Amino acid sequence: MIADIGLIALTIAFIFTVYATFASAYGGWRGRWDLVESARNASLLAFPFLTVSVIVIVYSLYVLDFSLAYVYDVSSQAMSPFLRMAALWGGQQGSILFWAWMMAGFVAAVLLRKWDRDREMMPYFTATAMLTTAFFVGVVLFIANPFVRLWHIEGAAELTQALFQPANSMPYYPEDGGGLNPLLRHFGMIGHPPTTYLGFTGFVIPFSFAIAALITGQSRGDEWIRTTRRWTLVAWIFLSIGLILGGRWAYDVLGWGGFWGWDPVENAMLMPWLTGTAFLHSVMMTEKRGMMKRWNMVLIILTYSLALFGTFITRTGVISSVHAFTKSALGPAFFAFIGLTFIGSVTILYLRWDTLKSEHTLESFISRESAFVLQNMLFLAVTFVVFWGTIFPLISELVTGIKITVGPPYFQKATGPLFFVLVILMGIAPLLAWRKQAARTFGKAIWMPFIASLGIAGIWGYTHRMHPASILGLWLVTFSLSAILAEFWKGVQARRVTRGENPLTALFNLIGRNHRRYGGYIIHLSVVLIALGFIGDANFKLETQGTVSSGEALTIGDYQLQFEQLRGYPGSDGREIVEAVTTLSQDGEAIRALNPRRDYFTVQQQPVTVPGVYSTPGKDVYVLLVGWDDSGQSATFKIYINSFINWVWLGGLMMIVGTIIAAWSNPGQRETTYVLKPGVLTSHSLVQEG
Amino acid sequence: MTQLPPNEQEVQSPPATGNKRIGVIITFAVILTLLGLLAWGLKKAQAGPLDNGLAPDFTITDFDGRTATLSELRGQVVVINFWASWCPPCREEAAYLEETWRKYEDKGVVFIGVDYVDTEKEALAYIDEFDITYLNGPDIGTRISQAYNIQGVPETFFVAKNGELRGVHIGPMKSPQLDEKIEELLAEQYP
Repeated sequence: MIADIGLIALTIAFIFTVYATFASAYGGWRGRWDLVESARNASLLAFPFLTVSVIVIVYSLYVLDFSLAYVYDVSSQAMSPFLRMAALWGGQQGSILFWAWMMAGFVAAVLLRKWDRDREMMPYFTATAMLTTAFFVGVVLFIANPFVRLWHIEGAAELTQALFQPANSMPYYPEDGGGLNPLLRHFGMIGHPPTTYLGFTGFVIPFSFAIAALITGQSRGDEWIRTTRRWTLVAWIFLSIGLILGGRWAYDVLGWGGFWGWDPVENAMLMPWLTGTAFLHSVMMTEKRGMMKRWNMVLIILTYSLALFGTFITRTGVISSVHAFTKSALGPAFFAFIGLTFIGSVTILYLRWDTLKSEHTLESFISRESAFVLQNMLFLAVTFVVFWGTIFPLISELVTGIKITVGPPYFQKATGPLFFVLVILMGIAPLLAWRKQAARTFGKAIWMPFIASLGIAGIWGYTHRMHPASILGLWLVTFSLSAILAEFWKGVQARRVTRGENPLTALFNLIGRNHRRYGGYIIHLSVVLIALGFIGDANFKLETQGTVSSGEALTIGDYQLQFEQLRGYPGSDGREIVEAVTTLSQDGEAIRALNPRRDYFTVQQQPVTVPGVYSTPGKDVYVLLVGWDDSGQSATFKIYINSFINWVWLGGLMMIVGTIIAAWSNPGQRETTYVLKPGVLTSHSLVQEG
Repeated sequence: MTQLPPNEQEVQSPPATGNKRIGVIITFAVILTLLGLLAWGLKKAQAGPLDNGLAPDFTITDFDGRTATLSELRGQVVVINFWASWCPPCREEAAYLEETWRKYEDKGVVFIGVDYVDTEKEALAYIDEFDITYLNGPDIGTRISQAYNIQGVPETFFVAKNGELRGVHIGPMKSPQLDEKIEELLAEQYP
């Protein structure tokens, strides 16, 4: 039986991961390199065995082997072959197997590439990373096993789920399965889980190296940071893509006209992103100046623990969420593992605290260094605010006996000002010199973008007379944007003058010569665009709802939506579709037809709302079919006007491009970043590093 | 690589052992408190929302001062909907709930809206916006939501004619889920 092969492979993988954990730790401790080598081989082998397991599950989903309880749960005949395979991450068991598989893949890749370079750290890196992998593989094997079968015991009313045949039972083969939750049948949901998992699991690499560096005493240097920089970037960008795809999915499928609702599950993903972003920046201080070593350790431990915490609250329902997730027996296991990881890593950090001294002190408040300290503090503050809001229902229930849920207004009000300063900092921090920045030169670099943004925001505010917050938001975006673009402009100008290149070549060469720096700027630009989307959502959103008869129209802003008729027809994947035919006009002129729908999935008895959207760079008109009367003569619509929302998606794409550029090594150059030695640069401390 | 050259500028932090010890104690106390909190939350979450047995009784006073007591509604099908004005998914189902209520109003079905952790002004505006006519009142002290161990809003509980819980729906309901459930419960014999 093919499913048995998957189960056997999974069991072998589990044995290998457990062996690798202990052998590498013991080998590292006793200096037994042979054991460490053996642990490495076991770790490398765990990955192909897990791959076999994954292939078996995907194959079973594809051929609809309904004797497996997991396949019966998430796959069905009506689903397309592609969706059936994507159902690997459509349920608890499959997604944790997928998670364990990716983590093992990451670790194997590191062990193949970095083995000789960082020898001293390798035993402990392997032990830490394999401990985590072993935990996840163990969860798949013992708690959420996708190879569990359906059995029918004689006389029993319900089916039994078990790995092996219970007494007096017959294997049971259902005709058809339940199928993937209709809400998950969207490209955002097809892409969101794998990217999120890649992000979460990817952070195991920097985390394990950090722990290895602490144990071996390598944490005094910055070798572990250089080794993990690209891995961190990979994890970070996948987490970012996961967040954006999740937002896109919410926008297209959940039908409340927004993309971010500060739901605990969303927050769970945002928190490791925040600390991870801080970590990505903070390590630069160690690389260049030998500072902030403690910060880095704290940030990576937090990032990794928050990723685990996020998984924990998503999978166990500890914190109420509008996302309905299934209950499971995972809770206690996860809880124990999070406790172990967090307490263990903090203890190791405490023991090594004194070795993590900074090699320099802050010399000036106006300097790149102080900007980095400030950004770390701000990121931590936002994380704390989000964390507090997320666990507040628990705290309030414990203390007062009354569960108080804080809604989006809390998060918006509390994080808004912090994000505001962060976006400003993003614009100006790259302009600051290391060590000390003369206020005069800084002023010279900043006054143009400042005046320009003030002008643009002022004119816009004068002509539109909207809420001051919206004007402030627009100023923020314009300022940060122009400060970053000014950097590109200066670089291009310099190349034009010194080398006589045309502007486009100059821009291309400028980015090509310093991938890290300009890739970083492109990411900053993308964040500004995403910020614009949030500002639009907070300040410029319009909404209305109404019931109209055929021929009548609803008005919102300059737009009118005229309802013509309803029509029903069967769709793919086993759904019945009711669609409204409407025409959207602006100031009386017809723009286009919109067809908001309600898809009813017959097997799951679940409806899904599909909005009709008219998208322009400035705004979306987003129409939902809320209900209708049985005669089909009238229908209820909800209409939103979402300003700037498309800049979020554009920003997401740009973020990917920027990250690829930043992670790409400069041709012909080994990854060297120069370290400022005390005394060398005192006379020309304003020189920016290149 | 392991030995860094001595650096004259290296910061010599004062031997603040007392401060450090306090820092360590605070750090670990915070971590343990947090883990304790999670453990407690986990224990509660494992219980899940009530979905069978006799529905916990309660009396609710609505925004107009009328009261209703669950145990006095035997013989009728009761739909208890937990909602809040700040909850976007609740808005999604509001129109459908009201529509269904009007359809079954005279057929032995009672709807009770329980407004969870809300402010009266916003709640009234919400009721006004969706023209909600069934009984709606605040869950003072979150007593009702705790009795039902709700996991979030919106959540809808179905009570059969004999007062027993017949399931819970987590998340917004869409046509015809509610209709189907009500028809099913109305078909039950009582007494």
